[in-house]
Amino acid sequence: MPRLAAPQRRQPRTVPGISAPGNPVPHRSAPRRRLRENWQGWAFMAPFLAFFLMFLVWPMMSGAYMSLTGKSLTGANDTFIGLANYGEAFADPDMWRSLGNTLYFTLISTVPLVVVALALAALVNMGLPAQWLWRLSFFSPFLLASTVVSLFFAWMYNPELGLFNDILMKLGLPPVAWLNDPSVAMWAIVIATVWWTVGFNFLLYLAALQNIPQQHYEAASLDGAGGWRQFFSITLPQLGPTTVMIVILQVLASLKVFDQIYQMTGGGPGGTTRPVVQYIFEAGFTGYRLGYSAAISYIFFGLILLISLAQLFITRKRSA
Amino acid sequence: MKQVDSRPMQLSRRQLLLGGGVLAGSLALGASVTGCGGAAQAAGNDLRFWHLLSGGDGIKMQSMIDRANAAHPEFTVKPTVLAWGPPYYTKLAMASAGGRPPEVAIMHAARVPGYAPGGLLDAWDLGLLAEYGVRPEDFTARIWQKSQLDGKVFSIALDSHPFILLYNTEVAGKAGVLGANGQLTGISSPSQFLEVARELQRVTGKHGLSYGFLGDGAQMWRMFYTFYKQHGADMVLEPGKPAQVDRDVAIDCLEFIKSMLDDTIATKSGDGGTAIAEFAGQGSGMLFTGVWELPTMKAAGVPLDATTIPTLFGTPAAFADSHAFVLPHQAKTDETKRRDVYKFVASMLQGSLEWAEAGHIPAYQPVVRSKEYAALFPQAHYAHAADIINYDPQAWFTGSGSDFQKYFAENVQNVFLGRIKSAEGWDAFIARIDALLAKPNPV
Repeated sequence: MPRLAAPQRRQPRTVPGISAPGNPVPHRSAPRRRLRENWQGWAFMAPFLAFFLMFLVWPMMSGAYMSLTGKSLTGANDTFIGLANYGEAFADPDMWRSLGNTLYFTLISTVPLVVVALALAALVNMGLPAQWLWRLSFFSPFLLASTVVSLFFAWMYNPELGLFNDILMKLGLPPVAWLNDPSVAMWAIVIATVWWTVGFNFLLYLAALQNIPQQHYEAASLDGAGGWRQFFSITLPQLGPTTVMIVILQVLASLKVFDQIYQMTGGGPGGTTRPVVQYIFEAGFTGYRLGYSAAISYIFFGLILLISLAQLFITRKRSA
Repeated sequence: MKQVDSRPMQLSRRQLLLGGGVLAGSLALGASVTGCGGAAQAAGNDLRFWHLLSGGDGIKMQSMIDRANAAHPEFTVKPTVLAWGPPYYTKLAMASAGGRPPEVAIMHAARVPGYAPGGLLDAWDLGLLAEYGVRPEDFTARIWQKSQLDGKVFSIALDSHPFILLYNTEVAGKAGVLGANGQLTGISSPSQFLEVARELQRVTGKHGLSYGFLGDGAQMWRMFYTFYKQHGADMVLEPGKPAQVDRDVAIDCLEFIKSMLDDTIATKSGDGGTAIAEFAGQGSGMLFTGVWELPTMKAAGVPLDATTIPTLFGTPAAFADSHAFVLPHQAKTDETKRRDVYKFVASMLQGSLEWAEAGHIPAYQPVVRSKEYAALFPQAHYAHAADIINYDPQAWFTGSGSDFQKYFAENVQNVFLGRIKSAEGWDAFIARIDALLAKPNPV
């Protein structure tokens, strides 16, 4: 197969017809010339830029400034107070608790969301009959709205009427207060979350699995490698980049958890499942303190940035 | 390989105009996505009305609005229904802070102190209200007092909706706990109440009482505050000062509620849905609930009567709140529309017999004093609750659907479940409230 020629890189400042010999470029300063020559490009980018500036850059700047004020939802106390909100947040046990809950959820949800997805994908990839049915069954919960999933699981977790306790009692086991026992509630949410979202990771893994050349397995089996050996020596290493991507996406998604917790436990019992996003919502919208809420948002933003940089560092080091 | 045409693109006038049109269109779309612009402005004689009443209440409310619209061709009330609790209250606050809220809205009366001082609500003009037949003397003292803040009237109550006791007359009859008048009477102490509940349990074989509280701060608070006020105790929450409460009484109330949740009298693991299903399925003889559950139980065919929660601790008292009309503050008030709002509210109050069918006690006393109301069963049996109701202690963060009730649940649910001691749960709740009172008041 002939190698594709590398695309020719255009000289950014050279526009044929203007810079051609015999048609000298007027003597102008470079930036002005560039602006004049690229205005069509800017015009095409304008709608995107307008949205980007309006809905990302401006809110970020405005939020950063808001975190330095005592701004309230009612419009009162819009005065600059420096870093006071940050000082208060760092001394606020509820903020630390909700941050801890978020990290705990991220930790205990990411592992099953990666491992279960891999296991399901490997099972389907083994060549089970009716593949479409498996793919549909594992992926379809992902299409449901968080409200539907939350209602559905809240009923199944109902201590008196729910399916889970019914099964436990039929097995002769004591009933569990799924969403009301502080030691169980977060796990109950993780179970619902895994059921709901594992399909996306499953699909990514399945696509990656189907891209592994069959010859590798044929060669390995000729050399006498068994199924497990092949899985650990061929499949897992080949899935490396996909796993890295899934872990990164999953950690970021889990850090932002809010919907299902808000709907299933409202952060309870006793605040043991309240994630930091809910605390930000409560501080700003039900507690009216927008400035304080913005400060916690920026602390959380800093934390996500740190985690993302750490992941980037680790994966770079590994691929180097 | 195909040569890339590298000539600069020449835009014709037509292309430029087309591109500009698309750009303008996308910007216009952006504006409408943000919710700015024309959509927020009511047309002609439309009065925008926001409320949080859904289910049976929502259907009744719509029927009352339709009637008011039919009676007043000069305006058309267009309601917007939003989800109860934080979704409603945050949107209302933000719309008012932005200066373009609806012309009129429903709020829980106990939430008004979190809105009025911040300038989110306008005061009512009593003179104008009187022109349409609504006067202060048309309300009971407690309700009228609650409508005021700093000497101004900020809310006009449509109803009061107390926490009450529904009971199954058939089960109660079999248990032999009904008085000579066929009603549940003569319970005046905690031990008597528990004994009646046990008698009912013997009949149902399941539970004597249904009380849903799991994961529901409002339910826990309603029950607790009813008993707390029955002790004659007070609760004062003043920003900048620690909460002034009667700790011994509070612990006593928590202990009493815990004693009901013994899995015989009532289940320890009952949430709202379970309690309603249990009582509707005749698995218990009594249900602690808000008046709004009455139509559900009637529809379920339960042989039913209702009463205020028996006075177990000396002082007749019941937790309640009121659905009340408020005037969200608008940057620019249209005087004609505002006058129409007064007409609308008066019309709703005067037609609130229909609202009573949903279980609520109308705030407008001429309706309560009417023959038609007296004939409403079992509503008339708890109408006197309006004289013993207690709203949440006043603070910017209290009231129905507020974080206050949520903080209560966070600390007290484990008490009810027997996981921590009453004193521990109560002290943690008060520590949380004290922390809130110590923070700057955002309204």
